[in-house]
Amino acid sequence: MEALEHPPIFRLPGIPDHVTYTWLVMVILAAITFAASRNLQLVPRGLQNFLEVILEQFMQMIDDVMGHEGRRYLPLLATLGLFILTGNLMSLVPGLAGPTGNLNTTAACAIVVFVAYHWIGVRKQGALTYLKHFAGPVPLALKPLMFVIEIISHLARPLSLTLRLFGNMVGGHILLAVIFLLMGLDGLIGWALSGSAVGAVVGGIGGAITIVFTVGFLYPLKILVAFLQAFIFVMLTMLYISGAIEEAEHHSEHH
Amino acid sequence: MAIAAGLCGLGQGRAVASAVDAMARQPGAAARIQTAMIIGLALIESLAIYTLVIALILLFVKGIQFS
Repeated sequence: MEALEHPPIFRLPGIPDHVTYTWLVMVILAAITFAASRNLQLVPRGLQNFLEVILEQFMQMIDDVMGHEGRRYLPLLATLGLFILTGNLMSLVPGLAGPTGNLNTTAACAIVVFVAYHWIGVRKQGALTYLKHFAGPVPLALKPLMFVIEIISHLARPLSLTLRLFGNMVGGHILLAVIFLLMGLDGLIGWALSGSAVGAVVGGIGGAITIVFTVGFLYPLKILVAFLQAFIFVMLTMLYISGAIEEAEHHSEHH
Repeated sequence: MAIAAGLCGLGQGRAVASAVDAMARQPGAAARIQTAMIIGLALIESLAIYTLVIALILLFVKGIQFS
């Protein structure tokens, strides 16, 4: 992929790019929140207003999916969501690398989610009761089978979270890189500027079409995907957490 | 990858079709249906993404030797 994509303009020697840009995302988020929360007002204006609108969206999503007691998990969910969203959007800025375009970053997020929802489940209902729910409401003879299947499905969750985010981001990056390669000085535009008459016509028209296509369609699509993937990651996290909590209520209703 | 993309498109098309159908019948529940639809689409899509990841691994990862 290094051959296709231009390396980012700012690199620290000896440190992988995605780590550098993870730090950059952290610095951006911390600076924005720090600047917004220095001077809190009852009637928010400017940056504080902006952040409050974002957090209210998160709260509304949590209320819709998990109900009111889900608000306890707002810090986890909102941090993950904002980090992934900023990382996704940052990878679209030319000259910067995206932290979410690397398997290590997405795996780290998914493992945090995996540990967190199991931890929440165990905290909520105790380890034994929580483990019992893996067996499900089936006859005793089928319980070992259900248990194994549930364990596998739980292990598949962080894998699918990781690969979904990574694959969407990297797929988009490779698409953009290939289009830029076709469009750039080695491709259509270079052909148009090379001086030959056919090149000027075909390369010029083709280059114009690819530029319009990229700016008008691919970039908005990538921005949409960036928002959508962050949304889906947070939404699935909510579903997992509420699954870990809700089993407790069902259980207590039964007995 | 092409087969995966095509079949994924078929599956997503079915999902979106029934979701739009449900939204047209019950406009009041449109928001909830939309949320459920997006989650379902993400789950369907991840199957195609797995294929993409496998293709990328085959293309770019040098360490694996397929004898």
